[in-house]
Amino acid sequence: MNIRFIIAMLAAKISKFLLKLIGKNATYLPGLIALKLDKNFLGGLSKPETLICVTGTNGKTTTSNMITDILRDNGYSVTNNGFGSNVQAGVATALLADATLTGKPKNKVAVIEVDERSSILVYKYITPDYLVATNITRDSMKRNAHAEFITFIVNSALPSTTKVFLNGDDLISSFFGKENTDRTYYGLDCEIPEREESAGVKDIVYCPICGGKLNADYIRYNHIGRYRCSECDFVSPERAYTVTAIDRENKTVTLTHNGENHILPLVNDNIVNVYNLCAVSGFLHKFGLSFEQIAASLKKTAIVKSRFDTEKIGDYSITMQLSKGQNPIATSRSINYIASIEAESKAMLFMCDDIEEKAESACWIYDCDYAPLASDNIKQVIFAGRRCKDHLLRALLAGVDESKIAICEDPADGAGLIDTSCRNVYILYQLYLVNEAKKAKAFIEKKAREEIK
Amino acid sequence: MTVEVLFNEVCGLFGDVFNAQYLEKCIPDSEFIYTALCDKPYFEDNTPDIILMGAMSEKTQRAVIKKLLPLKNRILELIDKGVVFFVTGNAFEVFTKEIDYVSEEIKTEGLGIFDLTVKTDYFNRYNGKVLGKFNGEFEITGIRSQFSFVYGNNSDGYFVKSDSGIGINPDSKFEGVRKNNFFGTHLLGPVLVQNPPLCEYIISLAGGTPRLAFEKQARSAYTQRLKEMKE
Repeated sequence: MNIRFIIAMLAAKISKFLLKLIGKNATYLPGLIALKLDKNFLGGLSKPETLICVTGTNGKTTTSNMITDILRDNGYSVTNNGFGSNVQAGVATALLADATLTGKPKNKVAVIEVDERSSILVYKYITPDYLVATNITRDSMKRNAHAEFITFIVNSALPSTTKVFLNGDDLISSFFGKENTDRTYYGLDCEIPEREESAGVKDIVYCPICGGKLNADYIRYNHIGRYRCSECDFVSPERAYTVTAIDRENKTVTLTHNGENHILPLVNDNIVNVYNLCAVSGFLHKFGLSFEQIAASLKKTAIVKSRFDTEKIGDYSITMQLSKGQNPIATSRSINYIASIEAESKAMLFMCDDIEEKAESACWIYDCDYAPLASDNIKQVIFAGRRCKDHLLRALLAGVDESKIAICEDPADGAGLIDTSCRNVYILYQLYLVNEAKKAKAFIEKKAREEIK
Repeated sequence: MTVEVLFNEVCGLFGDVFNAQYLEKCIPDSEFIYTALCDKPYFEDNTPDIILMGAMSEKTQRAVIKKLLPLKNRILELIDKGVVFFVTGNAFEVFTKEIDYVSEEIKTEGLGIFDLTVKTDYFNRYNGKVLGKFNGEFEITGIRSQFSFVYGNNSDGYFVKSDSGIGINPDSKFEGVRKNNFFGTHLLGPVLVQNPPLCEYIISLAGGTPRLAFEKQARSAYTQRLKEMKE
């Protein structure tokens, strides 16, 4: 324990207190202050008894929050950064918040979501006991470059003693920690009644071992699926936890482990959330909880409303769905999910914030699958945002009829363009447009309530 | 017309695949040949009118070099013949003399068609915009996002002179490379979709008649991007 660390801890604690006092969340700045004062601050903190890190391109927040909620529901005191920042400063903020002035943890367990790009800055100082990985797909090109780069970063940083819990249907993240001997895989082995992806981009095409051509047994979306190599004996890894059935009517899934079936509540039927559920349930069972404990806690769990929320008002159904901008796979999954919902007269308001600062641009939308927007049951698509003309062009190239597309440059104007005959409204919004999305929802709600009157 | 799209399954990281898909809509009577990395390139025994290749990972870049190195003389022959090459992102680096992958501590010999060298560093990503005049005829706009810079003198053969943004490296204003009808640019993604005049130019240069798909909408988006770039 050195004086620099103590000063950093004190300054961070005081800043957190002051930020809270003025009503701020304080999920990033205290950690940043601590790291500015002591760049080895993370290394100076004593590790909780069990440190669980969750990483991946998509689904890490949901997965991390669900693991935390279930552990807490089962009596564990857990430190978590699920509602805060997942980069180095965010991780530091979460850990220091639940630590004494000398850096001793108050909770025995920490579930920390780690931005995959930040792995090098985090695992250098703290060694996770477990790493749960959701998937690796292409993301912001400006920040994440490509999937191979992210794999390079994670594998350069991950300590070899960490027990890894990996998506066996993802040929990229399933190779995390090649040296790590304690490896468990999970995945899906059941019918997915979703539309086949027509032009989904794939972040791995050739065998990760020999570079030979891969044959797919099946593909769930993009490159997520089961493969075997045509030239060597490589096959996708054997999974210890597998979702073998999805019962949408009764809202349950069957999770198979060691040949035994366990029925668990289906929190959300979007396929990416079924993968998240599988990761959460499988991991917590490996961690030591029984399937009965997990099922009981899952009954009380929901995807956080800031990410997915549906409200019914009269004939109207208004769904808010967060969609990470610049992330083509996440956006494709959201669009695909909306298109797959069995409902007529759907309108989709897509609120986009593709502002060209330095480089990020509309390129990413050409890696998105816009073809589902051409579905007959989607009556209207509105692109609201500065790059709306690019979205319009992209949609036209995907075969969407121009007559059902409306555009506006100001995201705030989007709600006003919604065709009132559409009773199922989906607001797909990007992270920095959460306030505009809430206003859009309020606008439609008002309209719906006026109709009821 | 015949268009060969090289290694589309691994060379299309940032929407670059839409350069081919858009051309398909603009010249619908043309034949499009998609050559996978494990296939024999069509151009080896035939002469396509246009050859396209997009951005790729560094590992793929090395695999592409391995694939194309034995075909260097054939590629030079096609360039001399006036075949149009349009390669985006780090694809044009394949045609330089050498790539030094600093972070991975690997040096790879390139095709050597351009007397230039490349330094690729995973821990220094450059993001930027480019605005420049192509051939003095029309403006090109786009974005770049890369781990690499190219070094050497390309003042005799470049893609655009950047009015805004850098060239092949931060000390250069000459972006990309040009040799006869070979165009290489660090601009990424659907460059032809986002630059309708360039798309028309490429088609015409290859002997086709350009009829841009969704021309009104494409020009409108391009005009807006240009305007914003100049602000």
